[in-house]
Amino acid sequence: MSKQKITIAVTGLNNTDNPGPGVPVIRGIKESSTFDVRVIGLVYENLEPGIYMDGLCDRIFQIPYPSTGSDDLTERIERIHQQEKIDVIIPNFDAELFSFMKNEKRLKEIGINTFLPTLKQFQEREKDKLPEYGKKYGIKVPKSINLGSLNQVEDIEEKMEYPVMIKGQFYDAYVANNEEQAKQAFQKLAAKWGFPVIAQEFIKGTEVNVIALGDGKGNTIAAVPMRKQYITDKGKAWGGITLADDKMINITHSIIEKTKWKGGMELELIKTSAGEYYLIEINPRIPAWVYLAVGAGQNIPEALIKLALGFDVQPMTDYKIGKMFVRYSYDMIVDLEKFAAISINKEI
Amino acid sequence: MKISEEVKISDNGFVFNSKTGDSFSLNPFGLEMIKSIKEGKDFEILKNEILQKYDVDDLTFEKDYYEFCALLKHHQIVVQDNPTDFK
Repeated sequence: MSKQKITIAVTGLNNTDNPGPGVPVIRGIKESSTFDVRVIGLVYENLEPGIYMDGLCDRIFQIPYPSTGSDDLTERIERIHQQEKIDVIIPNFDAELFSFMKNEKRLKEIGINTFLPTLKQFQEREKDKLPEYGKKYGIKVPKSINLGSLNQVEDIEEKMEYPVMIKGQFYDAYVANNEEQAKQAFQKLAAKWGFPVIAQEFIKGTEVNVIALGDGKGNTIAAVPMRKQYITDKGKAWGGITLADDKMINITHSIIEKTKWKGGMELELIKTSAGEYYLIEINPRIPAWVYLAVGAGQNIPEALIKLALGFDVQPMTDYKIGKMFVRYSYDMIVDLEKFAAISINKEI
Repeated sequence: MKISEEVKISDNGFVFNSKTGDSFSLNPFGLEMIKSIKEGKDFEILKNEILQKYDVDDLTFEKDYYEFCALLKHHQIVVQDNPTDFK
C-alpha cells in the first residue's frame, strides 16, 4: 500500500544541551508506515542545529518569537502555508503553545491541523495551580506556596521544612536549604520568569517520567515510563531507560481519563522509597526524549499526526522494557551559504 | 524471599531491575548466590553446599549472606512476602 503524502511543520529544532523536541519528533515521523512526509522546519534562531542536519527538513523558515504577538506568528505561518500547503503543525515549545492554541480555529480554517490541549487543560496544570490540580483529580502533589514578593519567603518555614524547591513559573528550579538560599533563588527566578515564584515541598526520591498521548476523549493512546540515567547540569536527560511500572501507567491513564487530555504530554513524578508517587509537573507537549518511546515501540509523533488528521487511532499498550537512549554531541561542518540564507532570506 | 518478577539476571552477572531502571554487576559468587535465591533453595542446604565448595567458615558465610540479602532488599531486587521473615 502506498503511503499518504503529507506536509508537516515542526518547531523546536534547537538540539543543544537543552534540546527542543523537534528533531526527535521528525525522526519519529520519518519512520511512519502510513505517511510519506515532507518536513517544514520552523525556527526562531539561525543557529538551531536542526537547520543544518542533512536529510532532516525539506524546507526551513524562520518565524517570529511568540513574544512579538500571536498575530505576527500566525500571519507568518499563513504566508508559509501559501507556499507549502501544511497539513499539520506540531509546536514543541511551552512558550509558543498559547499562541497556537489561541489560533487553532484560524489555522484550521485554512487547512492547517493541530492536536493541542485546550486552553483550560493547559492553564489548570500550570505550576502555581498544582495543589488545586492534585485535589481535583485525586493525585498526590507536593505542598507548595506561590510567592509574590521577597517578604513571603519568610513564610515558607511556617508551612514546610527546608530543603524546599524554588521554581520559576515556566522553567528552572533550585533546591534551597535555608531561607537565605530561598531568597537568592527567588530573586534569580523572579528576574528571569516573573511572578509567581513557587516554593514547593522537597520530596525525597527518584525522579521518573512518563511520555503520553491523549486523544481528547479520555483515552490514553500511548504511554511510556522512563527513568533518567544521566542528567546534565541543566537537569536534562542525557540518557534514560524505559521501565516496567504499572503504577506509573495507571497514574497516566487516570489523569488522561479525568482531564480528557488532548495531545502530547510529559508527567514528571517523584517515586519515594515507600513506593508513593508525587506529581511534580506536567509538561503540555511532547518531551525531547520522545525518540525513546519510538524506539520502544510507540511512535507517538505518528499517532499525534493521525489524531490531528481525524484518523481513528487505537491505543498502543506494548513497549519494550529496558530500552535505553544515550545522547551525544556531534560537530557538523556546514557551509556559510546556508547560514547566510536563513539569516538574510529567513528561509531555505 | 523471592526475586522480583521485574528483575532480569544475565549469565554474565548483569542484573537489571526493570521497575526502577537500576542495573548491577555481580561477581561470579554473587551470581551463584542470586541464582540460588531465585531457585528458592533452602538456606541450610545452600550453606552446606557453599561450606563444602569454598574455603569459608560457617559464621563468615552467614554474615556475608545476610549482608547480601539486605542489599538485595534495599535495591528492590527481592520481594518479601512476610515482612517478619528476615530471610
